[in-house]
Amino acid sequence: MPYALFTILVFPGFLFLSAVSLFAEFFDRRIYARLQNRKGPPWFQPLADFIKLAAKEDIVPREADLAMFNLAPIFALTAVVTAFFYIPLWGTRALCSFQGDLIVVLYLLTIPTLTFFLGGWYSRSLFSALGAVRSITQLFAYEIPLFISLLAPALLADTWSLSGIAAYYQAHPFYWLFNLVGFGVALVALLGKLERVPFDIPEAETEIVAGSFTEYGGKMLAYFRLAIDSEAVVGASLLAAVYLPFGLGLNPLLGFVLYLIKVFFIIGLIALLRTVFARLRIDQMIVFCWQYVAPIAFLQILFNLVLKGFVLG
Amino acid sequence: MNGKEEEIKRKLEQKFPALAGAVRVQRARRLWLEVPLDQFAGVFDYAVKEAGFTILGTISGVDDGADLGLLYHLDRPDGVVLNLKTRTAKDGGVMQSVTPYFPAAAIYEREIIDLLGGRFTGLPEGLSYPLPDDWPKGQCPLRKDWDPSVLERGGK
Amino acid sequence: MEERNLKYPIGPRHEINVPSDFSFVPRAKDEVRVPIGPQHPALKEPESFSVALRGERIMGVDVKIGYNHRGIEKACEQRSYIQDLYLVERICGICSHTHATCFAQGVEELAGLAVPKRALYIRSLVGELERIHSHLLWLGVAGHEIGFDTLLMYSWRDRELVMDALALLSGNRVNYGINQIGGVRRDVTKEQATEILKAVDKLEEQTKYYIQIAMEETTLIQRLSGVGKLSHDDAVRLGAIGPTGRASGVDRDVRRDDPYAAYGELAFKVVTDGHNDVYGRTIVRLGELLESYALIRQIIKNLPDGPLAVRAPRKIPAGEALSRYEAPRGEDIHYIKSNGGEKPERVKVRAPTLANIQSVAKMLEDRYLADLPIVVAAIDPCFSCTDRTIAVAGRGAMNWEELRRYGIEWYRGQGIDFSRLSSKLGRGA
Repeated sequence: MPYALFTILVFPGFLFLSAVSLFAEFFDRRIYARLQNRKGPPWFQPLADFIKLAAKEDIVPREADLAMFNLAPIFALTAVVTAFFYIPLWGTRALCSFQGDLIVVLYLLTIPTLTFFLGGWYSRSLFSALGAVRSITQLFAYEIPLFISLLAPALLADTWSLSGIAAYYQAHPFYWLFNLVGFGVALVALLGKLERVPFDIPEAETEIVAGSFTEYGGKMLAYFRLAIDSEAVVGASLLAAVYLPFGLGLNPLLGFVLYLIKVFFIIGLIALLRTVFARLRIDQMIVFCWQYVAPIAFLQILFNLVLKGFVLG
Repeated sequence: MNGKEEEIKRKLEQKFPALAGAVRVQRARRLWLEVPLDQFAGVFDYAVKEAGFTILGTISGVDDGADLGLLYHLDRPDGVVLNLKTRTAKDGGVMQSVTPYFPAAAIYEREIIDLLGGRFTGLPEGLSYPLPDDWPKGQCPLRKDWDPSVLERGGK
Repeated sequence: MEERNLKYPIGPRHEINVPSDFSFVPRAKDEVRVPIGPQHPALKEPESFSVALRGERIMGVDVKIGYNHRGIEKACEQRSYIQDLYLVERICGICSHTHATCFAQGVEELAGLAVPKRALYIRSLVGELERIHSHLLWLGVAGHEIGFDTLLMYSWRDRELVMDALALLSGNRVNYGINQIGGVRRDVTKEQATEILKAVDKLEEQTKYYIQIAMEETTLIQRLSGVGKLSHDDAVRLGAIGPTGRASGVDRDVRRDDPYAAYGELAFKVVTDGHNDVYGRTIVRLGELLESYALIRQIIKNLPDGPLAVRAPRKIPAGEALSRYEAPRGEDIHYIKSNGGEKPERVKVRAPTLANIQSVAKMLEDRYLADLPIVVAAIDPCFSCTDRTIAVAGRGAMNWEELRRYGIEWYRGQGIDFSRLSSKLGRGA
């Protein structure tokens, strides 16, 4: 029992995830800054931001629904941490696993977006409401391509369990190369999920101030930001587990290092993408996702079905 | 030298014989003309529609003692500016709005209403500019006799 | 409530004065009214747009400006011409040289001064450097408005080059103070000229890179093309000027049409474009940057020798003058009337934004909320220029000490006592 608590709360659970998340935020900001010819923040900046925010007064708008306003960030953080337990990090076994946990993880990762909506909506502020509606509109655009693109490797592995997927690709090295197109699609969808440029439409500063988070400050904003940072790491871990499942049989230390390299590679890619694009409009974003991203995801599924049915089968 | 300007002057005087000698060519591309209020509409219409002054630079309001002077700075695309001046009574004088010619003139006229207490007919409804909403009524700060201390007394 | 003995009465808190016709109340059932401003992250200065939204679509916009009133026109009437020169330079932070030159030109015309050629060339030189500064700044702001912060960081990094050049020339990065009535105050040395040319070479290279980005980067083109349409006819009808007008094919530029300073002797092209949208305005500004680099090279090459200024009289002969200047944002107009004394009778300033702001409502018709920031930014608005006039702050003129006291009193009214803090700090130091 104490060991289970340790794994959930400390390693590789909540504390470990938080530490990696804060470092990932630093990594993202630093790369973004260096690509923009700036110096960027020091490594402890995200932690300092968190502490500063957590120490501030909590201000809740009079009109806001107190319970929803305060619960939304907690829900977001909880959902993200829970999802983390089902993802195999190094090695082929996740902390918990069962047949179908891939679907559960995908749904758990949808919850943060829902909390952005609920938190924004129940702030009862104009800009928050606009941001909330944009969040949910955007969800419908990227979520389907993300689901479809993540199903493709699972189809090939013939299992709905993330640990099962890892085991399959461990047994068949280099098969992960078949899924590279899906990786691209999932990366684009992840940009949408994390609300990063060019898909930072729900929190477009110059249009709707901070979107859902306009009325948030203090601890609640700190939790929200930690949830978003964690979501980035969990999302990157998910992509790494599904699309980059190589070197899983190494000894734990090397495997751990390799896992971090994979995650930070994906975080770096996201930072690179947000450097080179302008923010799209919501209508352009939806057209882009349905016209290009979703069909490509379907192509990946088709490819994997043919591959499985005729070539490998 | 100043061929274009003399030409404009000649044509203006031809069209409006009453203005003989009133048009002043200051230098290349600068013409000044003051007309009485009753002739303003005709001269303005001619300048805009026939003499090619198709751009309104701005309207300057001037506190001329008992009168409110209004200068319409009309530009031609070739750079010639006609500064057309007219006067209305400072208190109670009413001017015809030029928004039918230049929709953008509305804001220049509103500025004169706020700052110099001018009055315009035919000006479409809109927000006042540029004084704050809680500015005391009837205080026209660009008038020469205006005293800023009135604000400290709450507009009295 | 305790009555405080205040020189300047403080209105009750939480009282917001919204004029009846400037409504945040939706006009139709399915409309939402969104207040963009007076304080909003998209706006760098206070102005207010009350936007009626149906979904993300803009159904109507009310524009309210005038928040930046500082009473400069009235203040000019109460100061001497020389003081006014420095006062009008502070109308705007970016186009400070614009207003100072425009004002000086008018006064010189009234006084009948023949400004030396070298001074005219130096004015043009600073004017063009200022244009580069302004356009690079605009490019960055435009990038930020469409969420393309990388462009902001790059163009503002390059803007440092031109600001350094201006500092080298005048001692200041903004508010150059190079003008005096009758000429300029500082000369350009050989070494300075070489440094400026070096900066210009580097900037030209960078600008070509930005032009390449503007031509190729898809998300950028998607956000700019077809946004903020202003047809040629509308531009003429609404009096759009400067790059805003030129991007709708309005081929007007005071530098060419009504030459001032050294522009009559310099060769340059007026950049126009037929896109009629924000993309066109970007292309025009980038093109103008290249023209400005060429102009600076010409000016430095042809810089005539001679004195820098002629003596100006303290009393300016009675008369009127109208001075025009092509600011980076469009045409700037100063009307100056002298009564023969040391102080002007009337100074009227028409900044370019006042002419352009009126076309914004037209540009926003049937667009998305997401387009509002870039459409507003695309006219390169400068509300401190626009809203100059009138007596200070609506509470009468205050000197520094009074202003400080007023601030302390105001905060005490809010329950924060700075006077104790400052006395504590004073003891500590």
